Amino acid sequence: MRGTSLRPLWGWGLLALGLGGFPLLASEFYIRLATEILIMALFAMSFNLLLGYGGMLSFGHAGFYAVGAYTVAILMKKTSVPFFLAFPAAPAVTALVAAVTGYFCVRLRGFYFSILTLAFGQLIWGVIFKWSALTEGDDGIVGIRAPTFLTSSGGSYYFTLVLTAACIGLLWMIIESPFGRTLLAIRENTDRTQFIGVDVNRLRLLAFVLSATFAGVAGALFAPFNGSVFPTFALWTKSGEVVMMSILGGMHTFLGPAVGAAIMLSLDQMISVYTEYWPFVLGVILLVLVLFFPAGITGFVRVLARRESAGTRLA
Amino acid sequence: MKRKVLSRVWVLGLGVLVLAVSLTSGDRGLTPRAADATSHPIRIGLLYGITGFAAIYNKPAIHGHEVALAEINEAGGVLGRKLQYALRDDKTNPEVAVRMANELVLREKVDFLMGTLASHVSLAVSEVARKNKILYLATIPKTEALTSEKGHRYVFRVASNTLIEGRQLAELEKTTPATRYYTIANDYEYGRKVVEAFVDHVKKVKPRAQIVGQGWPKLGETEWTPFITAILAAKPEVVLNFVYGDMFIAFVKQAKPYGYFEKVRVISGAEVVSTEMAVPLGKDMPEGILGNAYDVFYWPDTAEHRKFVKAYLDKTGEAFVPGWAIQGYIGTYFLAEAIKKAGTTDTEKVIAAMEGLTLKTPIGPVTMRAYDHQANRGQVYGLTTHSADYPFAILKDVKYLNAEGFWRSVEEIKALRGEK
Repeated sequence: MRGTSLRPLWGWGLLALGLGGFPLLASEFYIRLATEILIMALFAMSFNLLLGYGGMLSFGHAGFYAVGAYTVAILMKKTSVPFFLAFPAAPAVTALVAAVTGYFCVRLRGFYFSILTLAFGQLIWGVIFKWSALTEGDDGIVGIRAPTFLTSSGGSYYFTLVLTAACIGLLWMIIESPFGRTLLAIRENTDRTQFIGVDVNRLRLLAFVLSATFAGVAGALFAPFNGSVFPTFALWTKSGEVVMMSILGGMHTFLGPAVGAAIMLSLDQMISVYTEYWPFVLGVILLVLVLFFPAGITGFVRVLARRESAGTRLA
Repeated sequence: MKRKVLSRVWVLGLGVLVLAVSLTSGDRGLTPRAADATSHPIRIGLLYGITGFAAIYNKPAIHGHEVALAEINEAGGVLGRKLQYALRDDKTNPEVAVRMANELVLREKVDFLMGTLASHVSLAVSEVARKNKILYLATIPKTEALTSEKGHRYVFRVASNTLIEGRQLAELEKTTPATRYYTIANDYEYGRKVVEAFVDHVKKVKPRAQIVGQGWPKLGETEWTPFITAILAAKPEVVLNFVYGDMFIAFVKQAKPYGYFEKVRVISGAEVVSTEMAVPLGKDMPEGILGNAYDVFYWPDTAEHRKFVKAYLDKTGEAFVPGWAIQGYIGTYFLAEAIKKAGTTDTEKVIAAMEGLTLKTPIGPVTMRAYDHQANRGQVYGLTTHSADYPFAILKDVKYLNAEGFWRSVEEIKALRGEK
């Protein structure tokens, strides 16, 4: 027993070492790519709280990501609020927006829920696109000056790493809490959970708001990292990206969406460099992954690991 | 349950470590920018939307870049070094453009950035250029902000802009008797800005002019009947059009049954009369539209222009030179000329050389204004007409208007930027 309980420490240690030491070894380009992967990983994992654990397929999640990003951008560019105040404001504003939209969304089930989230997501996009006086419309807000400790790629990476890790830790605690377990019950059998006496809509709303809040943090991280924010952040195609990341990485595994984010971003970047027919190559790779790894990459790894441990027991 | 988590974490940790090591070990050997500056080619990052809705407009510009590069390299290159492109697909998406521009600068170690079509994409790339202190030469995007309030040391533009375009069209209306104007443009930055520029200027040059109505279709609109009937109901004499590309083609086809082009006179920006639009419309292109283009292959009939047209057709094997090809062509020559003048590829020195630089181009001399880095590039204007020579409409009474007299003065831009 003691031997096995050490193994996770090894794994986490290795993960921490790999992620922590990465900027010391990598060039600036790869540090930037890794930072973007970390942010997208948080975005995808926040989404998976809804999809993987709550069984709610939202097509408007990018809206909350955009709210987070725009909150930071507008506060810093338009009102000259310093970063350390603008940054925490982002999840707060996002939570507020999510509470209002979520109030309506969680009352619906299945497809109807998805359609309404899509509508709200596009509504957020529409507001950003049209309200030029505040958001500068389709030009986006460019030239967000990050504080000095974030201007170097290393500083930006470590800041993102620490915050992403903290948020993922919180997500883990949420999932492991009685609330998280009840959420699983709702996913598996909503009616039965309701009969037990659980206020299903209230818990679904809580999950919706929490999930959106973490997406808001991801957006708030991306704004100073990117230096600019655009209405496309809120577009339904962006929401589609996180759905893909979650399914690709494995939506029933805690870190699955993060793995999906890493694969999607790396593939996108690498293939675009080598060929202008990148959509074809990317499409084929995704097709193979979805056909042969229906439970996602992490789901496949889990099956392998299980098979291996079963084998050693027999021998 | 626990055991499964462990092994996954293990694999993940190992994966990240392997990834970190493999990525970093491979990257060390890439050519450093300064080390062997004399033998290596001068690398230019090109950003265009190769896929997606804007592809048909980007291809001609890319070909223009390629023609110029071939000419320059055949003549021995610049400072004895060849020019070389690294082309990236920005997907006409600012977020992708930022990632690709960073990749070009940080990984490909390009010396300069060039290109982009869409205004919001150009602003995004401009920001990357500012951060990384890399010279970025915008070839097509028109948002005036790029070189006015959002301009900075590292961004240049060889294209016209929304203010110049709107004011030039208004200026051309100065002497006509018409007073009732209707405007139609897509509801986004370009459409809003260019209409605003036209309306402001037309009221200045023709105080009797009135705007009898405005249509703001969304970008990508396909159903034009409501807009057409609304325009005809307002009984304007002139319609100012900025609906372009596939949208314009659909508009023309849907407007025909209403006798639209007989009832109103159309003046248009957004290059709807350029060759790449005229060819797909063929004989459906209405006659008498006053429109603009960056270049038409049959004008001006000068040696420089004929040389450009011949070089383009020889290189690409296409039947006609599209209007936006010249923007890529001029862009590459502008950069090459500035490098030559600077005698080095050092960014700061090339910037100094480019400020105020005048280049002989196929459509005449183009000068880069030193203060705001906006070229005095205007456009050619003419009336659409059909002839027996071509199966599509060409322009008659063609003239070139450059930006001077239309663009904002340096003082105005200083005020916009909050400088003294």
